[in-house]
Amino acid sequence: MFELMRSIRIDTENGRASGAASILADHPLFADHFPGKSLLPGSVMLELAAQVAGPLAEEFAKTKLGIERWAILGMVRDARFLQPVLLPASLEISALIARSQSSSINTNVTVTVNGERVMQAELVMMMLDSSTEWAPAIEARDDRLARWKEAS
Amino acid sequence: MNERDTSAEVATLVRQTLAIPESEPIHPQQLFFYDLGFTSMDLLDLLFRIEQHFGVEIPEGTIYHLARGNLAEAEFAEDGVLTEAGRKRLMALLYDTPPELFPARIHATTLPRFCTVGAITRLVDHKLAAPRLE
Repeated sequence: MFELMRSIRIDTENGRASGAASILADHPLFADHFPGKSLLPGSVMLELAAQVAGPLAEEFAKTKLGIERWAILGMVRDARFLQPVLLPASLEISALIARSQSSSINTNVTVTVNGERVMQAELVMMMLDSSTEWAPAIEARDDRLARWKEAS
Repeated sequence: MNERDTSAEVATLVRQTLAIPESEPIHPQQLFFYDLGFTSMDLLDLLFRIEQHFGVEIPEGTIYHLARGNLAEAEFAEDGVLTEAGRKRLMALLYDTPPELFPARIHATTLPRFCTVGAITRLVDHKLAAPRLE
């Protein structure tokens, strides 16, 4: 699902990040959701928000906490889906660090479409030490992030 | 003097964390992991709820630091595992947890696993009484 993200901008100093994602109406992932009226599933919105919150948490941990760990979405708290998102749609995603410690970083995320807030939630990113078998995934993540940053 | 019924408020937050109905009682002697079926994520969620509800901060390592007290770091834990002195300190802090539940080797990152609802209530009372001490 990483192909839905277009760009990301991370402001580690202020603990915030913003990203953009665009989803076509005929994306095969949403063929059954729903036939003839494509609606973005809330779970996908949360995943896209985590794709912004994760790199923010990782860079924040590295810069501010002095630890290099990998962020995995651990918990979604107080998620509110405020408006249905009909496809195609361009999403603006923002994430703000709300609480940070070495094992977990909480971010408040909001998603807007055409300037209207459609979702907000608190994402708890669990910060994990990497193991050697993660190397290919980390390499792919680095490439992906570089592309997204370049596009912002 | 704290006149809040912290115990009842913590019990409510425990119910909310696990979506347990009001009719199901929560007792101070219940262990989160052994009796209530908590996972580490549930405990984290509960701590966030407690922080928000009571307006206190419970950073990671709180149980560790409370148990260690004035004991030197090296005397409390070695290579991430509690020493015998550290184990005794932890058992004293968590006096309402059955002693047989404490294994011989206790990894320092697992301390919250041995907490009862009562122990977390005492922690909240401690934080409410002296919120700026730690």
